[in-house]
Amino acid sequence: MKKQILIRRMLHSPFFMVGAVVVAIIFLFVIFGPFFLPYEPTQSSLTETFRAPEGFSKGLEGHILGTDELGRDVLTRLLIGGRYSLVIAISVVLIMVIFGTVMGIVAGYAGGIVDSIIMRLCDIVLAIPNLILAIVFMAVMGISVTNLIFVLAFAGWVECCRVTRNNVRVLKNQDFVKASVSLGASHFHIMFTQILPNVTTPIIILASQKIGFTILLEAALSFLSLGIQPPIPSWGNMIANGRTFMTIYPWLVFAPGIALMFCVLGFNFLGDGLRDILDPKKRR
Amino acid sequence: MLKYLFKRLFEALIVLFCVSIIAFLLIRMTPGNPALMMLPDGAPEEAIREMEIQLGLDKPLYVQYFMYISDVLHGDLGVSTSYRQDVADIIWGRIPVTVELALLSVFFGCLIAIPLGIIAGSRQGSATDFFCMVFALLGQSMSPVWLSVLNVFVFGVWLGWLPTMGTGTWAHAVLPVLTLAYPMAASIARIARSGMIDTLSEDYITATYAKGISGVKVHWKYAFRNALVPVVTLVGLQLGSFLAGTIIVETVFGWAGIGQLLNQSVGNRDYALVQSLLLITAACFVVINFVVDVINSFIDPRNKLGG
Repeated sequence: MKKQILIRRMLHSPFFMVGAVVVAIIFLFVIFGPFFLPYEPTQSSLTETFRAPEGFSKGLEGHILGTDELGRDVLTRLLIGGRYSLVIAISVVLIMVIFGTVMGIVAGYAGGIVDSIIMRLCDIVLAIPNLILAIVFMAVMGISVTNLIFVLAFAGWVECCRVTRNNVRVLKNQDFVKASVSLGASHFHIMFTQILPNVTTPIIILASQKIGFTILLEAALSFLSLGIQPPIPSWGNMIANGRTFMTIYPWLVFAPGIALMFCVLGFNFLGDGLRDILDPKKRR
Repeated sequence: MLKYLFKRLFEALIVLFCVSIIAFLLIRMTPGNPALMMLPDGAPEEAIREMEIQLGLDKPLYVQYFMYISDVLHGDLGVSTSYRQDVADIIWGRIPVTVELALLSVFFGCLIAIPLGIIAGSRQGSATDFFCMVFALLGQSMSPVWLSVLNVFVFGVWLGWLPTMGTGTWAHAVLPVLTLAYPMAASIARIARSGMIDTLSEDYITATYAKGISGVKVHWKYAFRNALVPVVTLVGLQLGSFLAGTIIVETVFGWAGIGQLLNQSVGNRDYALVQSLLLITAACFVVINFVVDVINSFIDPRNKLGG
């Protein structure tokens, strides 16, 4: 697709533009925000517990979103928690996309018994809901960020594999693949330099939609204290923690809750917009 | 038709068999000797040996698996280490609560989402359509964690209209059902909308229009039926994985159902319970998917050929 057409479509897709702006703002805040704040995410102060949000009345030196039960600055924890969420979600999606695509291409291209085995493997993973798979694996393998990334990626690669496999099966019978075979190209070459470039569009769309979903799943795990462990902040464990004090100090759940909602909303808008742009026939 | 159903049934059984192996290996992967869990602290060496023999731990792994699977098929799911009770009894007692929650949520979710999605799909680009898309995107972005806490705050704490903990009256069910139904309704509305758009662009719909049949009749009599196929599939998937949704909701609202049980047994390291819940979830999912396939082949007879 021509670059100008792509850019024009981007500018004309309200979903994409809203999503892109929200995601860009979140990235800017999460990456650069903590440098402007004087607090550390785990720095507690017993004289400053449960401070109400002060806004910008004291500039950046005050507790803009208040403090929690240990006197930790909520905004600092929110931004650092956001860093964890984004880094985890992006690494998970990268791993699941790479693994899912390779498996999908191999299944679709090889066909036969290899295809059957990979597809049954997908069925098995699909038969256990993502959250349950993640909970059980975290409980058995132990809780750590590496395990968290591995488990979330393992729960999510299946869709990518299935989509790729179905596309490869169609492509396999097309003339350019037959031409490569007759020229004596190796299977590896055909799979990864001939077929791969033709199946990337649905993968990009799927990946962009998976980021929001992964953030939600990570938040749910952290909420159930099977994800990121305190004192390291994450939006999920901040909500779980703030729930205890919700009736008197509602900002402790509202800050991470609203951040979580806007972040996922931004990625979902971006993903939907991207699909409209890259695959206009399937507008829905 | 029958051949297709048998093929699906066979595939379903293979999946269940593999899940049972995973569930079995799960316990073996966890650190600690299961025999020690059954005995009081400081038990003598001989007692441990005896318990190992009694539990079959001295036999090779595949023999242990067959012992386990034959127990499961006879309805014996083992003994919970945290409750000191039969796993089957504990789970059986928890099922009604979760099923009530799941069915109510699916019912209300469909009640709102299907008409919304169908109307939005048949009037693409209208205000209803835009509302439907925003409703769906917002719902899909709502974390159950945040939505449940928000509902507790707004309706329980702030307005004080509804109870936020426990079960009993219908009022207790409103917030958990709302929390589960909204994200569900969001995805159902979306798939109903796209199903309707796809169906309306098919040749047979153009043909019915050409015959001079009115628009309303075409939409609700001819297109609606086919647009339902993806909806039924999705509702099946949602029902099949209802346990995942109820974990958070039951934990937040204090419903003593299966989801809460799973969360607690993971916390208690009660692997016999976790293992059985894993197996039951997978079985539910496989059975419901099979039923969905059968229903869909009745709604749209072309589907069975695609199998």
